Amino acid sequence: MPAAAVETVNLAKTYSKVEALRGLTLRIEPGEIFALLGPNGAGKTTWISIVCGLVRPTGGTAMVLGHDVVRDSLRARQQVGLVPQEVNFDPFFTPREVLRFQMGYYGVTPDDARIDEVLAALDLSAKADTNTRALSGGMKRRLLIAKALVHRPRVAFLDEPTAGVDVALRHDLWSYVRTLRAAGTTIVLTTHYLEEAEALADRVAVIDKGALVGLDTPAALVRQLGRKQVRFRLASPWTAGAEALPEPLRRRGATVDASGQMVICPVDGTPIAELLSLAGALSPAVVDVEIVQPSLEDVFLQLTRRPDAASFTRRSP
Amino acid sequence: MNGIGFRTLLAKETRRFLKVPGQTLAQPVVTTTLYFLVFGYALGGRVREIDGVSYIRFIIPGLILLTLTQNAFLNTSSSMFIAKLQGTIVDLLIAPLGVADLLAAFLTAAVARGFLTGGLVWLISGLFCGFSVAHPLWVIVYMLLIATAFAAIGLAVAIWSDKFEQLNVVPTFVLTPLTFLGGIFYSARMLPHPWDTVTRLNPILYMVEGLRFGFLGTASSSPYLGLAITGGVVAIATVLTAWMLATGYKLRS
Repeated sequence: MPAAAVETVNLAKTYSKVEALRGLTLRIEPGEIFALLGPNGAGKTTWISIVCGLVRPTGGTAMVLGHDVVRDSLRARQQVGLVPQEVNFDPFFTPREVLRFQMGYYGVTPDDARIDEVLAALDLSAKADTNTRALSGGMKRRLLIAKALVHRPRVAFLDEPTAGVDVALRHDLWSYVRTLRAAGTTIVLTTHYLEEAEALADRVAVIDKGALVGLDTPAALVRQLGRKQVRFRLASPWTAGAEALPEPLRRRGATVDASGQMVICPVDGTPIAELLSLAGALSPAVVDVEIVQPSLEDVFLQLTRRPDAASFTRRSP
Repeated sequence: MNGIGFRTLLAKETRRFLKVPGQTLAQPVVTTTLYFLVFGYALGGRVREIDGVSYIRFIIPGLILLTLTQNAFLNTSSSMFIAKLQGTIVDLLIAPLGVADLLAAFLTAAVARGFLTGGLVWLISGLFCGFSVAHPLWVIVYMLLIATAFAAIGLAVAIWSDKFEQLNVVPTFVLTPLTFLGGIFYSARMLPHPWDTVTRLNPILYMVEGLRFGFLGTASSSPYLGLAITGGVVAIATVLTAWMLATGYKLRS
């Protein structure tokens, strides 16, 4: 079995009395685009920081392309590039100088052609020789991405790479990430934009309170956990509460939204025509019908709010 | 060892201080020249000679040491502390740079700054007192060891410090008093008992006397003893800093 791009087994980290990671086991295959999702404080950045050598684990193991990040740390670090969550910049140097240093740190002889290519890909060519202090917030974030990629890492970790980046550039970055993957780079990203994970990732891991609560392809997660809904808009608000809905609708889990204007019923295999027929009995009458497809966001919310979420099925790619 | 990595970090650390020459080169030169003029000329008229050397020539090795130590300390401490403060320390921590690479690059750049500024002070003092050096090899060895010791101490202090206040504690309350009480402006032989003995507990005294032996050919203590003590300080400071880098003390959580 070839070495995984990244493999963590029972990875744990405890800060004083806080368990940031509780035995996280993950295997990321070479060439994958892998997204880590989870609410703030879920442990995503801790996991990435351990794999990149910034944080020491208190339990378990982490390997990058077969190199243990603690016992063989230099070889493991040789393979990675990291876009940290916090923007940083060196006020003494220009982007071009920073990228030359970055290549050198990884034992790569600085190469202006490569630096120009990365600067162009991240729309920083015009600022190549400007002091980093003069860059805007978005440019500084793009420079972080350039730094993480300029030495051609085999595994790139992008910790919320598009936070604070405008929509057009975000799409350009997605395109660049796909190009990197096509060239064989494994991409591990965390993001708060669920559409980003849905658009880019081959597989998604959902982490909550330091534990894995979901792992699959975005489509499979949505298929397994997402619930298609039919929303019936009423002519006037339903004031009697959900318990007063007709019994066949209540039995199928129908609810009334906060405004009372909408009756929402999960499909869960019931033919749509049957639901429409049942809704025909509602009074006030139904004036509009909307069928809502499940999204990764629904799955995310379901997994990170559900008490028994840890029992979720896992599947290899 | 990551040869390209080491050379890159060394180049970066050197260029960092060369980018702001007014602050890193001119400022210490101006300050030390003022010391030289005020103490050398103002006190020189009264003290005249110490150990058979004119007072103005007597203080030159101490002034060079003052510049050397301050600049070596500042180069590593400011660079490391700013990197921690700005978050750019992450670049070094995740790169495949080993303890030896990091230590060698930081210390070499700091030694280079120390030699550059110390050399400028020597050039300026030479304009007043001539450029004769009694034992050039002793001077180079002492300058190298002293700069290395203070560069390593600077790196350790910056790694330990969480805020500017802490960064200033060691130079303000330890290094500067020890340096000024280390015989820059006087000879230990001039002190009354018991201070002539107490002052010999100060390792910086042996550094000053070692440099004085190198420049002037005369000193109040053995240059070999000074070499051993200075080497000991280098070893302790370097081992401590290497331990901090290897264990990730205050760098990796």
